[in-house]
Amino acid sequence: MTTLDQFESVFRSAIKPVYRHQTVSIRRAVIITDLGQESAQEFAVLVQQLLSPLQITSWELITGDQFSDTLELLELLDEKDMDLICCYRNVHSPAWQHPHSLGSHLDVLIQKTSTPVLVLPHPRAGYAYDHAFDDMRQVLAVTNHMTNDNLLVSYAAEFTGSVGHLHLAHIEDDIVFSRYMEAISKITTIDTQSAETALRYQLLKYPREYMDSCKAVLSMRNPGMSIEAIITYGHRLREYLVYVDDLKINLLVMRGKDEDQLAMHGLSYPLAIELRQIPILII
Amino acid sequence: MVLSLALEEKIHAQKSIIVSFFAIICLVLATALGLLPFGEVTLPNGHHVSIPVYIPAVDWGVIAIILGSSIFVDVTSRSGLFTWVAIKLTKASGGDSLKLLWYYGFLTIIFSAVLNNVTAMIIIGSLTSVSLNKLGKADKLLGFLLIEGLLTNIGGLMTLISSVPNIIIGSAANISFVQFFITASPFVFVASIMTIILGAKIFAIKALTDESEIAESAVLIETFDENDGIESQGFFWFGAGMLLLFIITIATTSILPVARELGMGFVALSFAVIMLMRYKSEVDQFYRSVDWDLITFFITLFVVINVMEHAMVLELIGEGISLVIGSEESLFGTGALLVLSAAFSSVTDNIPLAAMLAKILAAAGTASDSSLWWAVVFGANLGGNLTPIGSASTLVAVTIIHKNNINMSFIRFVKLAIPFAFAQILLALIYVLVFLY
Repeated sequence: MTTLDQFESVFRSAIKPVYRHQTVSIRRAVIITDLGQESAQEFAVLVQQLLSPLQITSWELITGDQFSDTLELLELLDEKDMDLICCYRNVHSPAWQHPHSLGSHLDVLIQKTSTPVLVLPHPRAGYAYDHAFDDMRQVLAVTNHMTNDNLLVSYAAEFTGSVGHLHLAHIEDDIVFSRYMEAISKITTIDTQSAETALRYQLLKYPREYMDSCKAVLSMRNPGMSIEAIITYGHRLREYLVYVDDLKINLLVMRGKDEDQLAMHGLSYPLAIELRQIPILII
Repeated sequence: MVLSLALEEKIHAQKSIIVSFFAIICLVLATALGLLPFGEVTLPNGHHVSIPVYIPAVDWGVIAIILGSSIFVDVTSRSGLFTWVAIKLTKASGGDSLKLLWYYGFLTIIFSAVLNNVTAMIIIGSLTSVSLNKLGKADKLLGFLLIEGLLTNIGGLMTLISSVPNIIIGSAANISFVQFFITASPFVFVASIMTIILGAKIFAIKALTDESEIAESAVLIETFDENDGIESQGFFWFGAGMLLLFIITIATTSILPVARELGMGFVALSFAVIMLMRYKSEVDQFYRSVDWDLITFFITLFVVINVMEHAMVLELIGEGISLVIGSEESLFGTGALLVLSAAFSSVTDNIPLAAMLAKILAAAGTASDSSLWWAVVFGANLGGNLTPIGSASTLVAVTIIHKNNINMSFIRFVKLAIPFAFAQILLALIYVLVFLY
């Protein structure tokens, strides 16, 4: 090691991501439905049972007759100032019959509100997994977007509860990796083999260190909670779908906002569309 | 050649090419003019061997020290030892800017003394850049890097192997490692403290006083993991042990049997080979990372100086110098030699100066304990602090400054460095004239 760049790399690599737990307080929650009073109440009971470990003290219910467009819904939510919004996909829309969108209300709501949104399977669609409303013992947090995302992990831990299983996942896109490696293989000044080995290792090193830190902190706070790290390469969407299936995940937690764009960020949107069978918490 | 070396950056040519070119011209002209003594070389056992005339012209002892120690340092750095020490100190500061300056300052001195100025600047400079950016104190980078750059040349005065002029002068004057250290270290200690205090004042580097800032900095600095660069604990401790043994052996070479005869170059090369055994199947990577520009520069420089010696040019320069400093050791002469050495070193490489003056002083029969040797050592090392091109380590500091998008022109460097350089040269002048004359 003799060059400036080599030593800078060593020192940069020595900086470890450290998880700092953020206090999550969910005391007031609202349930949005497009159902009539009776069905809405039934749905509300289901949601309240599901979220009972969170010890929410104040529940509000918005039914279908209280709003007709997104603006009205946003105004209603503004007035209520909630800690959590619970809503099923394709609310106030017949599009629930088609698996291609979250529905216009939810699309806008996720981007406009700073409150976390729990997206639930549509009550009439019948595609929810049997375990979808059982409990929230198996939680999968998708940390791809921002590996050092303390808030996301804090929320995921809060929903997992003291005896659940929290899976922290980071899947590096192997197609993107292959494309970069193809470019590198054409650069004469870079040794392709050593570059691939180093890059493959380095891309997973940071998330691994961050998740180790998450484990250390969360295990101290909740000794009964089991925390597993999933760090690998693969087709990201496909891999997440497999993990959700294999691990019988009850809740997926992910980021929904991207400061650089108006729409939901890259991986979250397809995940939110395709994973219709379980609740998804979008931060 | 000296002018071309001074304009190295302008003419976009590396040192080795410049000096090699002049070495070729010198050899051709000297041969054509019949100045060189061709013929067989007689070995100590009486055998005669035919060696090209430019081979004995080179001081291979100096080349061996440089080659051996650079490979040794390169392999040892792979153990993670230097980065471990650097990060440990960073964490010990708790992220406080003033503490960091003191810690990095003294680490620069130690690394410059034990390793070499350029490696020291690369290690500390890169850590400074990463840690200050992490702490959100990028505005202090200029001050830190400049002070560290200046300190490398002070640290380079500490031991016989800290810088090439020291090796050349020490070997010409027959100064031992221990004698060199005892003579130079008091100055290094005082000059370092003075430079750091002056630097903290000029660049407004202050201690943290706000409680929340102290807490935030402490949290940020704790994210550094000193063990990250350590591939193997065994090799780490082996590297630490070998470094200690290397310093002890180099320091005692002049009194150790066998090593005394074989010299410091042999010691450095032997330690390099022992360290290379850790990577015995991939040693080629370390050979590739040797600074061949520097090695070739030294070899060809020795050839040029040898030709100049045969052409009586050095004698002429020596007479010229005697006119200024006098033929006998005097207060004025020593002081003038120190100032002139510093002035010359500020605009071009200090190695040709050291090599030339070493030859001249040795030819004049200068005693080992003469203050003139020290005038050259102090002048040649400290002169590098006057300009960004005066020494390789200040050039590295400027490179890191530029990498961090900080504007640093030649003039700006001189303006910022002059108070430090003048104070250091003045201190050296007082030290040499009061204590070494």
